[in-house]
Amino acid sequence: MSDWITITIDGKEIQARRGELLTEAAARAGIHIPVFCSHPKLDPLGACRMCLVEMEGRRGKMLVTACTTPVNDGMVFYYNSERARDARQGTLEVILANHPLDCPICDKGGECDLQDQAMEHGPGKSHYWEPKRHKEKNYPLSDLIVLDQERCILCWRCIRYLDEWEDKPQLGLFHRGSDSVIDKFPGTELDAYTSGNIIDLCPVGALTNRLARFQFRPWVLEHTNSICTHCGMGCNLRIDTRDFRVRRNVARENMAVNDAWICDKGRFANGFLFSEKRLTQPLARIDGELQPISWPEAIQRVVEGLKGVVEKEGPGAVGGIGSAKLSNEANYLLGKFMRALVGTNNIDFREGSALKAERRGVTSLQDARDADLIVIMGADPSEEMPVLANFLKRAARRRNAPVIVIHPRRIELTKYPGVHFHPLPGDEPALFDALTKAALQARGQAVPNWLADAEVSDEVKEAATLLVNAQNPFIIYGTDYAWGYGSASIVQALTNWIVASGHGDRLGFLHSQANAVGAADVGLLPDMLPGHQRLADELARMELEKLWGSKIPTQPGLGYSGMIASALGRIKALYIMGADPVGEKSSYAEKLEALDFLVVQDLFLTETAKLADVVLPAASYVESNGTFTNTERRVQAAAQAARAVGDSLPDWAILMHIARRYAPDQADFWRTSSAPAVFAEITRAVPQYAGMSWESLGERGQPWAWDALEVTRELAPYAKLEPAPLEKPFTFRLITGNLLWDEGNTFAATERMANLGHKAAWLHPDDAAGLDLREGDLIAVRSREASLELPLHISSRIQPGTVFVPFSLKDAPVGELFDEFGPRTTVAVYRA
Amino acid sequence: MNYEPVLTARIGVVDPACLHDYEAHGGFQALARAVELGPDRTVAQVEAAKLLGRGGAAFPAGIKWRAVHNAEGPKFVVANADESEPGTFKDRILMEKDPYALIEAVILAGYATGAGKGFIYVRGEYPRAYQRLRQAVARCYEAGYLGKDILGSGHEFHLELRRGAGAYICGEETALFESIEGKRGYPRLKPPFPTEAGLFGRPTLINNVESLVSVLPIVLRGPDWFNSIGPANSPGPKLYSLSGRVRKPGLVEAPMGVTLRELIEAHGGGVSGSGEFQAALVGGAAGTFLGPDQLDTPLDFHSLAKMGAALGSGAVIVFDTSVDMMQVLERIAAFFAHESCGKCYPCQLGTMRQRDIIQRMVAGQGRPGDLQLLRDIGQTMRDASICGLGQTASSAILSAFELQLT
Ligand SMILES: Cc1cc2nc3c(=O)[nH]c(=O)nc-3n(C[C@H](O)[C@H](O)[C@H](O)COP(=O)(O)O)c2cc1C
Ligand code: SF4
Ligand code: SF4
Ligand code: SF4
Ligand code: FES
Repeated sequence: MSDWITITIDGKEIQARRGELLTEAAARAGIHIPVFCSHPKLDPLGACRMCLVEMEGRRGKMLVTACTTPVNDGMVFYYNSERARDARQGTLEVILANHPLDCPICDKGGECDLQDQAMEHGPGKSHYWEPKRHKEKNYPLSDLIVLDQERCILCWRCIRYLDEWEDKPQLGLFHRGSDSVIDKFPGTELDAYTSGNIIDLCPVGALTNRLARFQFRPWVLEHTNSICTHCGMGCNLRIDTRDFRVRRNVARENMAVNDAWICDKGRFANGFLFSEKRLTQPLARIDGELQPISWPEAIQRVVEGLKGVVEKEGPGAVGGIGSAKLSNEANYLLGKFMRALVGTNNIDFREGSALKAERRGVTSLQDARDADLIVIMGADPSEEMPVLANFLKRAARRRNAPVIVIHPRRIELTKYPGVHFHPLPGDEPALFDALTKAALQARGQAVPNWLADAEVSDEVKEAATLLVNAQNPFIIYGTDYAWGYGSASIVQALTNWIVASGHGDRLGFLHSQANAVGAADVGLLPDMLPGHQRLADELARMELEKLWGSKIPTQPGLGYSGMIASALGRIKALYIMGADPVGEKSSYAEKLEALDFLVVQDLFLTETAKLADVVLPAASYVESNGTFTNTERRVQAAAQAARAVGDSLPDWAILMHIARRYAPDQADFWRTSSAPAVFAEITRAVPQYAGMSWESLGERGQPWAWDALEVTRELAPYAKLEPAPLEKPFTFRLITGNLLWDEGNTFAATERMANLGHKAAWLHPDDAAGLDLREGDLIAVRSREASLELPLHISSRIQPGTVFVPFSLKDAPVGELFDEFGPRTTVAVYRA
Repeated sequence: MNYEPVLTARIGVVDPACLHDYEAHGGFQALARAVELGPDRTVAQVEAAKLLGRGGAAFPAGIKWRAVHNAEGPKFVVANADESEPGTFKDRILMEKDPYALIEAVILAGYATGAGKGFIYVRGEYPRAYQRLRQAVARCYEAGYLGKDILGSGHEFHLELRRGAGAYICGEETALFESIEGKRGYPRLKPPFPTEAGLFGRPTLINNVESLVSVLPIVLRGPDWFNSIGPANSPGPKLYSLSGRVRKPGLVEAPMGVTLRELIEAHGGGVSGSGEFQAALVGGAAGTFLGPDQLDTPLDFHSLAKMGAALGSGAVIVFDTSVDMMQVLERIAAFFAHESCGKCYPCQLGTMRQRDIIQRMVAGQGRPGDLQLLRDIGQTMRDASICGLGQTASSAILSAFELQLT
């Protein structure tokens, strides 16, 4: 390759890539030039001067920093010359001269670059007499991160990360000379969502995890490769444990997924694992009260309860609800149990059949990084998937990719140049129609009659032209547009635009739950079999029947809300695994109370579990093996890292026990005794997973191909969307959505993070002024269905005429407000 | 001694507030001449004059002018008027007493290099210079020297003033760019050099005030005239800021290469205080000391460089025998420890250590190895620091020990 050139280091010729940094070229040749400030993921800075080498120049040899010097053909360097060695040693000496050397109590001890460099390049003995300088040793930068200013060697990695990756330059260097310290800017917070990555980046023990501080010495930790299950990105983690207890999460590099980053939810929000509130033993309702029982007894009760209903009412009276947060193994076995043994297709999960989602998720996460145009519709990556948001920000900043945002709120990504639309709920189809028309016109194609009236504004034309001309656009839509009343129309309308622009095959969906793709892959849907095969597909059904050893019912089942609604009718028993419908909407309680039999399998005694006849304590994903399929269809293994709490058992194991007891004569088809073995069976049931195995997933996971599932998208008219009526007093349109710092069950259990959640209903400043309301005032948001009381947050990110109530607020579940218009209802807003 | 001042010719003669008076004293003739010559030949004049930068580093101005002239636009011209080297005051006097000269020179540089915009970065402690320049810029816009189609050349040029806020480091050219860009003034890594990627990442010509003002007579009188003054490899008239223990301190214009003795005796009226010369600090805090044996040294860039010293900004601070040099060194060490920006370790810690050690010595608690320690720190700072501040922070102090002044 012409790209390869020759340079000389200490008289030895080595091959290097033209333009790469000397540090990289040298490393390939086995010369490891010491560095502090330089980091492969950050722009070169050249501040610490640890990497000095001599370079042959026009005016003789000069010292240069290897970490900032791109190499070119014929360049000559001296790494081991006396002058270079002296310079590096001198630098290290001045660093050490002021470093506190409190290694014995430092969280970084044993994995510290400074310790390592001092051993390798240090002078052995310092000859300074002057006292070390003193600074703050315990300076909290935020609730999550603490800074020891004495240990800081001012490498700027933390400063650069926040600027270069999250585009939130929240840290800087203050004062000057030897008084220089890292700090926040006056009056501001360090609240970047991926701020914890600076702990991993810090070469010394200056930045530490406040939640995990002083709990361990790094060298006694056991490391387990895992992933994060807080969102659909599936960032790779290393879970560090000691005594089988989780001590901390650190990011694990996977270039195809998260690069080397995780967000603060993934890093810090693991308090749920060791929460006091975890269920530790099975419970059963005895004399009207939930009381502890043994596992065999619990299983016996579940089997009897379900069988009793089947015998009396038939299998159609039983349903199973799984979860997009749980593993493929758990969801697969729940589906298999319901279909093969109980004999019903009543299976689903919350984000299952109700979501008008592209089941394949996004084309690929790499596409987000390579994008020349970004299109985001009804999703907010900054809140739903912060690491992806950082990739998008970088594409916007470094590749000049314009950002087209279509969202009811002015989301963070609207700070990048592009075209931004904020249609009110109900107005989306008209906007997409206009974009579709403009796209067709831009491509010189005929505009169908039903689009003739669409009004094309200049902005619409600009956005449409951008997309038509893009080579490599990254296009996603999200839950805000794909869920609830009217979503079928909106999704068809937006699909029309993308198809009309010539990019139909790039339209992806941002699955915000960890295993939403996987749960559908393994067939936890009322009308779909594993592998996205239709229930009506006889061939597929026969294949599965062979694998499962039973007949599969052909009648499509009920979906998530259908099952709950029918609890007052034909559904008599439900098996709910990892879901909490009552927590979403309290009126579901009276429905579930009407059931003859309710089993809940969970980590916690949720509002739903409180109603159950039998409660089964599940082990968390950290305490069991499992696979998860992220939003780019990458199947990834999360290995067991910690010991299960109390008597809790992995979801898959519980289902296996129940199945064997439920149908002893079928036990041959329920023999698998490990999660990897269950996964092996899944690879036979799901064609897209064929050839995978627990081992083959390795450290990087394996994606199934975008075109392994054919999806046809066409330009088509759709049913007109009738928005919810705006009539007194219901004069505001409700907006919902996910915020990263929510108050959901798993998150709220991390005590240190509990005060990060921002509980509020949001209004535009004009609306607040119109109602004579101030920041923090308690307001009521009332629909035809229910009313919530919340403190007010005033923000110009909200459109006038709308009120934003985030999901997962403690004691204020927005679901309570949903009526027949679901999340797109209209509400009254007034002082409470 | 029959040298006729050129750079300071108008000082005390012209009314600094009056554009017409400036015009009446030869003002804007150099610019008119440059427009006659055209950009390319104007740059050639600067090259032929072999003008070395007067800001301290003595870099050939012609090379920078040519590089920016050849670069793709948009590009900038910046006048470095931060003048914060201790003992230096030449630029202040030029700006206060003859502000139009600097403005004319910046416009001329913009025309020659094809830059559409210029900045003058004025030291924060120079309120009068700033006021005078501000008024002068406004007059120049009114008179058409700034704005569109300057002197019928078709060239459009705009000029903005920026004020520093008291940091020595902001005189370093890349830190100065950061400061103009609204950021904290930390030096950048070089390369890339300003001529490739300077202000706002664009090709930028940055010159010291005196360097720019020197271009006016070069264009008017020609490079041969310039080369006829001073030594061949370091030619031209030079401004010396003479201060300390001399009878007549002040700004001196002399041919480059005037000797230290001549400067003190003929221009400064001789040593004051004890009347006996002990040492002179040449080049400011970043410079070097010269002792009694070196009084006949010609004060030009090359002669001083040959002996390991530097002319720097042309500051000359004289000390008579009654001065306690350790206290002077302590002052210098404290200056650097205070002004180190803190971006790189060798300098931020080296300047602190250097100060601590000298303070200890002043307090009478010196140790046997102290001098070696200062040399080691000095070497680390010189070799490993990012910018000139750290690289020169030990030079005055080490030279004082070398001369055994203490
Ligand atoms: C710490 C430091 C301070 C400096 N301060 C000044 C200054 O105040 N004025 C100046 O003209 N140059 C100063 N310089 C030099 C500039 O970086 C630069 O070399 C100069 O502006 C170039 O102009 P010239 O080529 O005309 O000399 C300083 C350099 C350093 C390292
Ligand atoms: S806190 Fe850590 S990462 Fe930040 S500058 Fe200091 S040493 Fe570097
Ligand atoms: S972005 Fe998602 S997967 Fe990644 S660490 Fe955050 S919550 Fe976890
Ligand atoms: S040498 Fe000193 S002034 Fe220059 S960058 Fe380094 S710390 Fe800052
Ligand atoms: S690693 Fe090169 S200067 Fe810091």
